[in-house]
Amino acid sequence: MRGGDAAAAAEEGSPRSPDLHDLSDDSDYAAAAAATASDHTAMRTDSADTGSDETTRIDVVYEKERVTIHPTQYGSGRISGKLRLFLQQGSLFLSWEPNEGDGSLSTSSVAVEIDKYRNLYTIKALPLSDVRFIRRHTPTFGLDYIIIVLSSGLAFPPFYFYNGGIRELFATLKQHVFIIRSDDDPNVFLVNDFQDPLQKSLSSLELPGVASVANAMSRQNSLSFTGSVDETRHADDGRHGAASSMSQYSSKQKPKSNDPGRDLSIQVLEKFSLVTKFARDTTSSLFRDNIGAHAYGRQQHGYALDNQASDKQKNQYVTPEKDYVPSAPVESDPIPLVWGKQRDRPLSVEEWTAFLDPEGRVMDSKALRKKVFYGGIDHVLRKEVWKFLLGYHEYDSTYAEREYLTAMKRAEYEAIKSQWKSISATQAKRFTKFRERKGLIDKDVVRTDRSVPYYEGDENRNVVVLRDILLTYSFYNFDLGYCQGMSDFLAPILYIMEDESESFWCFASLMERLGANFNRDQNGMHAQLLALSKLVELLDPPLHNYFRQNDCLNYFFCFRWVLIQFKREFSFEQIMLLWEVLWTHYLSEHFHLYLCVAILKRYRQRIIGEQMDFDTLLKFINELSGQINLDRAIQDAEALCTIAGENGASCIPPGTPPSMPIETDGGLYVQQDEVL
Amino acid sequence: MASRRRTLLKVIILGDSGVGKTSLMNQYVNKKFSNQYKATIGADFLTKEVQFEDRLFTLQIWDTAGQERFQSLGVAFYRGADCCVLVYDVNSMKSFDNLNNWREEFLIQASPSDPDNFPFVLLGNKVDVDGGNSRVVSEKKAKAWCASKGNIPYFETSAKDGTNVEDAFQCIVKNALKNEPEEELYVPDTVDVVGGNRAQRSSGCC
Repeated sequence: MRGGDAAAAAEEGSPRSPDLHDLSDDSDYAAAAAATASDHTAMRTDSADTGSDETTRIDVVYEKERVTIHPTQYGSGRISGKLRLFLQQGSLFLSWEPNEGDGSLSTSSVAVEIDKYRNLYTIKALPLSDVRFIRRHTPTFGLDYIIIVLSSGLAFPPFYFYNGGIRELFATLKQHVFIIRSDDDPNVFLVNDFQDPLQKSLSSLELPGVASVANAMSRQNSLSFTGSVDETRHADDGRHGAASSMSQYSSKQKPKSNDPGRDLSIQVLEKFSLVTKFARDTTSSLFRDNIGAHAYGRQQHGYALDNQASDKQKNQYVTPEKDYVPSAPVESDPIPLVWGKQRDRPLSVEEWTAFLDPEGRVMDSKALRKKVFYGGIDHVLRKEVWKFLLGYHEYDSTYAEREYLTAMKRAEYEAIKSQWKSISATQAKRFTKFRERKGLIDKDVVRTDRSVPYYEGDENRNVVVLRDILLTYSFYNFDLGYCQGMSDFLAPILYIMEDESESFWCFASLMERLGANFNRDQNGMHAQLLALSKLVELLDPPLHNYFRQNDCLNYFFCFRWVLIQFKREFSFEQIMLLWEVLWTHYLSEHFHLYLCVAILKRYRQRIIGEQMDFDTLLKFINELSGQINLDRAIQDAEALCTIAGENGASCIPPGTPPSMPIETDGGLYVQQDEVL
Repeated sequence: MASRRRTLLKVIILGDSGVGKTSLMNQYVNKKFSNQYKATIGADFLTKEVQFEDRLFTLQIWDTAGQERFQSLGVAFYRGADCCVLVYDVNSMKSFDNLNNWREEFLIQASPSDPDNFPFVLLGNKVDVDGGNSRVVSEKKAKAWCASKGNIPYFETSAKDGTNVEDAFQCIVKNALKNEPEEELYVPDTVDVVGGNRAQRSSGCC
């Protein structure tokens, strides 16, 4: 620990005690006063791009070094930064900026990887009025940290205080905003937004995009769309009912542009043009591939990204057969995406056999994954191939090794299963967690895919097997336990495997990657929704802006898509195809996020045209279930993924599911509160 | 904004997993019951046009995932709620015991301007099951809880056969309107007079 920080000194000077957190404690004020005395330097800064006015004055009232985030669980994967509270025009803002070239990082490849994400987490100026609450965690072992949750529901990753200073933070907050401790949880501090719509709206208008977690990327592009800079000025002048007038204002503005669809497409093209030569080359090669593959059949339109992509005048739709054929009425987005490859036939038995050497090893796993990515798997082969895709079987294992493994794993499964099988009725009476967990699973298995013949009807034996596997899994991974959505994942797996133990291990392998979706703190989900928001910002700035203006940046309307990987959006047959495509991790481990972007882009015209607010959008997205053209969505997602390239990958923080979680000293799935 | 407040009533249904939230909503809106609902993931809502004292409203009924683990999503979904419907299963003590949690979590996340007077309605569902023989929470006990929380209206319902569902939602609409005057205060000054009238009329309804 380095000294020299007044706040840190103040913290060290006072002994830790359980009631340290009490905000009414006068010592808090003393500590804060001490911190403020040295730190409170009214400074003029150009770091905040909030005010064009040079005289905009920023008073820093709290500043703490070594406030660190842990995007991964690697020790070296930490980003240290500076947390600040500052006053500007009477409002309190919070900022966090990563240190430049942090010396504390090791030079490992992980650290280099992490470096790319440095700016992803930057908070430039978050108005405290946008904060719903701050939860403080003071674990017995390890560093204290806080989690900031916004009114929008978005949560920032935890901030770990290496130099202490949480107490001063709250004390300072208390001096400037109304903050109360939740009756329910003494570690939750509710931040009042003054109930002042004017103040709130002004602060959000002055700082477009502040609520998005990181806006370092393509900020300029965001601002250039539909004159949001003008809007800011407009609101600044008005200073009255600004929040409600903002959306009205922009809705008045938008239809005025002569051809919104065209304008938007140009925006998209411009954006794409920024994605370097690599993208152009790839795209034109995709374009050629398509011609070679007689791709005109279904997709009648596309556009080329040529070297003049940034030149609006020269950009035109390329309509290979002259006539522009609009897509189905429900999918009314006239902006065609760059083509993805035409979908291929499923992997056939002959092809599969050709992939195997005489002892049963998959000789070229990448080629296999590619084949599956483009065409899926013949149904009869799924039972065999899924085990590889899910990571239960190694590609380089032999027939004999797999047979042995299967036998071993069967015994292991039975051993785990016997743990709960042996719980007697009297024991269960005294084992509430078990009863509750079992009750939850019982409730869910009887409402999972019951319309599929395999699970149909009363007293269906397969439903019981579903239950047994899930309950066994909740013992195998007691920390994670059972969570709604798991039965959705398991049902197709059991249907394919038709074997309890094999299904269990396939499911367990899948949960190695997707278990974080079900963590109690919802970190896995927040990470994915954040990455999705970054991807939309990259691949469709106008849509991103629309979501921002309409308070939709939390992307909760995609929650179901992401949590269970589109299970509820497609038929049982289709979902097996989609999942095997996703499980190849061929173009990206996060292909499902590109799929989200692709589907949103398909419907962007309706979303923007009908001015959907959050509620309407959620309803709209939910009702797309069963309506989405899967092949086309996969093709679109493929094109987007290729175009986004490295820029896309850097939108997705390391460790984001379904990336493999990184091993830690403790458990992977430790739940902070309840076990259930 | 002002006109939207007058016609849209947002109602949130909360309660443990499997108590019948989705079924209640579907019984009320579509007059249908199915044994084949799936566990709700995330959130969804249905709307229904309702008439109350000569005024027409769009009732927006939000159905959310029942597992505690998903509670943190509430921030996004509970905003602007006019009434919160708590549901428990009369055959499950745990679902009844959890009502306090649901109520408190709702108040934290929705942070209504006047939490003490925010309208809740309690529904004890599944009264049809096993002819009432498997029931473990008595009506008396439920009513005592309601009394302790500021006289929350209480209904015993069956989403399966429709018992009391219509009546319960009538009450929900009525109570959702209690909250209306509060919201009307956000109407800009120019229509303040109208807002004042509205407030009086609404309080008359309750």
